[in-house]
Amino acid sequence: MKHLTLGTTALLAGLSAIALPAAAKDLTITVWAGGSSDADAFRIDNIKTAAEILSAEYAIMGEELNITVEGRRDFGGWEEFKQGVTLAAEAGTAPSIVVSSHLDIAPWSQAGYIVPVEDYLDFDTFPLNDIYPNLLEIAAYNGIQWGIPQDAESRPFFFWKDTMRGIGYSDAEIAALPERVAAGDYTLQNVLEDATKAVDLGLVEKGYGFYPRPSNGPDYAQFYQSFGGMLQDPETNKLVLDKQSMQEFYQFFVDAVEAGITRKNHLGTDWGQWYNEVANGKAATWHGGTWHYARYTGKEGNDDFFGTIEFSLIPSGDANGRANTVTHPLVYLVTNQADDQDEEIAAQLIKIASGPRLNSLHAIKSAHLGIGKQQSNIELYAGDQWASEATERLLSTANAQPNHLSYGAYSEAMFKGLEASWTGAQSAADAVADLETELRAKLGDELIVR
Amino acid sequence: MTANFRSMPVIALLTIVSLPLVIMYVFTLVDTFTNTEPGSLVPNEFTTEHWRFLWSPDVGRGSVWVATVNTFIFASTTALIVTSISVTAAYALSRLDFPARRFFLSGIIILHAFPTITLIIAIFLILQWLGLFDTLIGVIIVKTALELPFGIWIMKGFYDTVPWEIEMAGVQDGASRFMVWHKLVLPQVQPGLAALLIFSFLSGWSEFLLPLVLAPGSDSQVLSTYLAYFLLDDSLEVDFNLFKSVGLFYAVPVILIYLVFQKKLMNIYGGGSKG
Amino acid sequence: MSRISKPRFNWLGLGFLAPAMIVVVLFFLAPVIMTAFFAFTNMSTSTGITGGDYLLSQSDLRSLANTKASAATLDALENAGYRVDDAGLARLAEAQGPATADEFRKLHEGDLFTSRRDMERALKDLRQHRIRSTRDRKLAAELFTSSVMDQRFDTEEAFRAALMTSGIEAADHDTLVDEAYTGWIWTTKNIELLASLSSSWRYAMNTAIYVSFTLAFNVGFGLFLAISTFYLSPRVAATFRTIWFLPRVLPPVLYVLMWYWLTWDTGIISTLAGYFGVAPRNWMLDTGTNAWVVVILINGFVGASLGMILFSSAIKAIPASMLHASEVDGANRWQQVRYIILPQLRWPILFTSSYQTLSLLTSFEYILLATDGGPGGTTEVWALAAYHTALNNYGGNLQYGLGAAYALVLVVIGIVTSLLYLRFFNFRELVSKPRIEQ
Repeated sequence: MKHLTLGTTALLAGLSAIALPAAAKDLTITVWAGGSSDADAFRIDNIKTAAEILSAEYAIMGEELNITVEGRRDFGGWEEFKQGVTLAAEAGTAPSIVVSSHLDIAPWSQAGYIVPVEDYLDFDTFPLNDIYPNLLEIAAYNGIQWGIPQDAESRPFFFWKDTMRGIGYSDAEIAALPERVAAGDYTLQNVLEDATKAVDLGLVEKGYGFYPRPSNGPDYAQFYQSFGGMLQDPETNKLVLDKQSMQEFYQFFVDAVEAGITRKNHLGTDWGQWYNEVANGKAATWHGGTWHYARYTGKEGNDDFFGTIEFSLIPSGDANGRANTVTHPLVYLVTNQADDQDEEIAAQLIKIASGPRLNSLHAIKSAHLGIGKQQSNIELYAGDQWASEATERLLSTANAQPNHLSYGAYSEAMFKGLEASWTGAQSAADAVADLETELRAKLGDELIVR
Repeated sequence: MTANFRSMPVIALLTIVSLPLVIMYVFTLVDTFTNTEPGSLVPNEFTTEHWRFLWSPDVGRGSVWVATVNTFIFASTTALIVTSISVTAAYALSRLDFPARRFFLSGIIILHAFPTITLIIAIFLILQWLGLFDTLIGVIIVKTALELPFGIWIMKGFYDTVPWEIEMAGVQDGASRFMVWHKLVLPQVQPGLAALLIFSFLSGWSEFLLPLVLAPGSDSQVLSTYLAYFLLDDSLEVDFNLFKSVGLFYAVPVILIYLVFQKKLMNIYGGGSKG
Repeated sequence: MSRISKPRFNWLGLGFLAPAMIVVVLFFLAPVIMTAFFAFTNMSTSTGITGGDYLLSQSDLRSLANTKASAATLDALENAGYRVDDAGLARLAEAQGPATADEFRKLHEGDLFTSRRDMERALKDLRQHRIRSTRDRKLAAELFTSSVMDQRFDTEEAFRAALMTSGIEAADHDTLVDEAYTGWIWTTKNIELLASLSSSWRYAMNTAIYVSFTLAFNVGFGLFLAISTFYLSPRVAATFRTIWFLPRVLPPVLYVLMWYWLTWDTGIISTLAGYFGVAPRNWMLDTGTNAWVVVILINGFVGASLGMILFSSAIKAIPASMLHASEVDGANRWQQVRYIILPQLRWPILFTSSYQTLSLLTSFEYILLATDGGPGGTTEVWALAAYHTALNNYGGNLQYGLGAAYALVLVVIGIVTSLLYLRFFNFRELVSKPRIEQ
């Protein structure tokens, strides 16, 4: 019984099963959270809290429900996590609740690994009706609400203030950067120039003028958008390969390498080293995520974030492009289980965990952004400078990557092309030609080439 | 000692090329018990903190002891099954005639030199059909299957070196082929048996990819995946001394077995194998 | 040799072979064959491995617009909606009791709701006979639609039956069935794609670099170790052999970890180089050349020990008198090696090379652990590309079909090469019939 497929007979069976006076029910809910470090522990712990609340509610209704929550987040990287979830789902041993990228909704729903939470939850009720509609939209696919956003974030561009001062920016000019970026007045070409200056003046080492994320991630879609690229056609919902934007995007990284502001071998840099370097001013400019705030000010010991770092949207690439930022929320998903009632309880748990109070615990602890409007009425959240400034400056313009069956293939191929041109294995033009071949073969009708 | 056997220059040369390995070994050992200032090579204090994973379960992924028990079960079971199955199959291929023998033999040879890990999707599917995905048993069976062609091939090599006269004599005395194998031939291939047993144990102890993909759960994890977790997880601080301690803990049994059974193990590379 | 009269074949042989055959066929041969089939499918995360269900979603509707499905069908699918009619109310009476159905009839009889959300809101209008549980209300809402949209059907029959009851033109059923199927289908695109991508050539070149350099190192260095230790006293020789054999025995994860420590920017090479004023850097991943040197050394240090062992035993087999005689003739050590030892090693060298070519071709464990194909895909070899494509990438987009196509190439190369070797290494002798039966 997957979701509402049931014929009437099956339905009746289901209803009577639920209506029966329930004896004490013992249930184990497993939660797997991907890409989660210690700071993200509330992704699991909130489900535990929710289980206590739900048990109490059931007790009041006269039913005894004992929920044991087992959480797991020690997967290595995203690669191992997704491999694990996928194979477990194939084998029928998937965890009850998964915290993963919203991009997984399309393939996982098509494969039948997850069930729509809208089959179990009333989105007209609190706290679901309090969640930002655009975030809910990101957790929906094909008009169906498959999951609930677990957090929000966006991916800003960072400037190290001291270095910017060193190349001649006044404090006022630095403070004006975010607005200039947003207006399209300060572009990636300016980044190239300023970063080159910083390297030439010896303010940062060679290769540290522009210090991008060292591995694949949604961040790179931003630079494609910076050059006017579009990921999905809003009319047809097909994915779009804008060859010119793609090539300009690749070329920007080639130019950065040639200018000596980015290392040719940058991809693959150890994350630990990377965090430490950007948090302490070794790089002039870089890009990252809003959640980096927790790491910079925590483990890496930058006590004066706002005094040392300026942040903005990702600048537009040229006059045709636009400044932008991608938000890549993680979502709570309920997997397809043998017992419909398990799915229902899992859905109720993630609903409770999405309340403003519980979600704020996660948001503030891990420096993510909240999911609901009421969180501004939670003191813990409202009192946090980063959460409020980042929300204001970034989230209003943030767009998400498309939930599309083939977006995984699209983004892998896009990154492979970037990697090839960045490291000099191919010219940007050749890489785009390859990308086109690959995407045409893999996506067929689902691709629009411009 | 003749001039050409004068050894000092050779020793000097060998020492130089061996230096990287020796340095790795020595520092792996030393670093697990000491702390060193950054940028220095000489340790400045003795400590046992790098071994904390042994008693505090929060350090790695789950309990190291569960992983150790799993690894032991995995390696020893694989070794036993591989050896016991190889020992009969190899005898059949070496000495007995039966339909399609040539076919079996060439099949074994081809599989023996074959890409194994590339088959992992299909293997996953079969395990899933059998309900053995994410279980230790599943990985044991798969490892056994992948190791068997090699095991059979090695054992066949040992059987091939047993003189025919022994069996001829036995058969002429009226013993059945089974008895001949059991009483006369088997004792002759003892060295091969021991070598294969040790070899497959070591191979099982070291196996990494199969458990990584086919048994990802914490309950069935083995030491290789326990250790690899430290390398794979980006969010962890790089703490080489801790990693090395875990690694050393993982490797000690292997090193001991190797040092004790070195001679026996070498048989696998020696006379037994023709090809 | 026909002194013993025995049957032409021996059932004991098959019996002895049976356990091995069962395990090998089931877990080794079957996967090989399945891989060959998978290579011709579009199997991926979204199609699942085990076969699909039948599901019509909004994106299917969009693609249906390009097929010969009639406009009426599309309209019926898109706008089926939720209708409060007698049939639906009867179903509600059955599920929630007649009283509930009666109350609902008074409230909404004849209404049509376009979305499920609206239908549920309508059900919330019930006052005397509220449906309390959200789940029950949602199930009740479904009683009022005959749409097949967004519903999963396990079998084609169930889906066709639902199409029948929903009143969609029979002519379009086949089209809808094809569109709705979520599982994998046969295709030859994977092979075409591999042939047309330039990354395939890069991976092939990387593999060629990896195999040839590692092999050269293995054989060359194995020879050096075997010959040099031959000239040493047994005790010293044994020490060096142990040093060089350990990498083969040590678990790969630990062994690679040692290399991390050796080569990383906080590692010993950087520290030592620091004394000479060289800035610390990651000697494993700094440049493509660095990565290749490290990858080849990591594999080579392991591989050399096999050559060392095999060559050593071959050298030991050379009669000592030959060596002594050569010295009496005035041959220096180099000449001794060149004219006496090396010729004796021709076959072991040939064997080691061919054996290791195959295993290197398909191995990627050490590369995965060390560079994971980096920096920037420089050390991405064919087998690793197969693993990344099928099972391990950032987006979790597991393309089993394409990955199997990668694997299939290796499978074919493996089979062809081993058949060649078999001819070369005198297969007839290897498989010659047992003498007792002759």
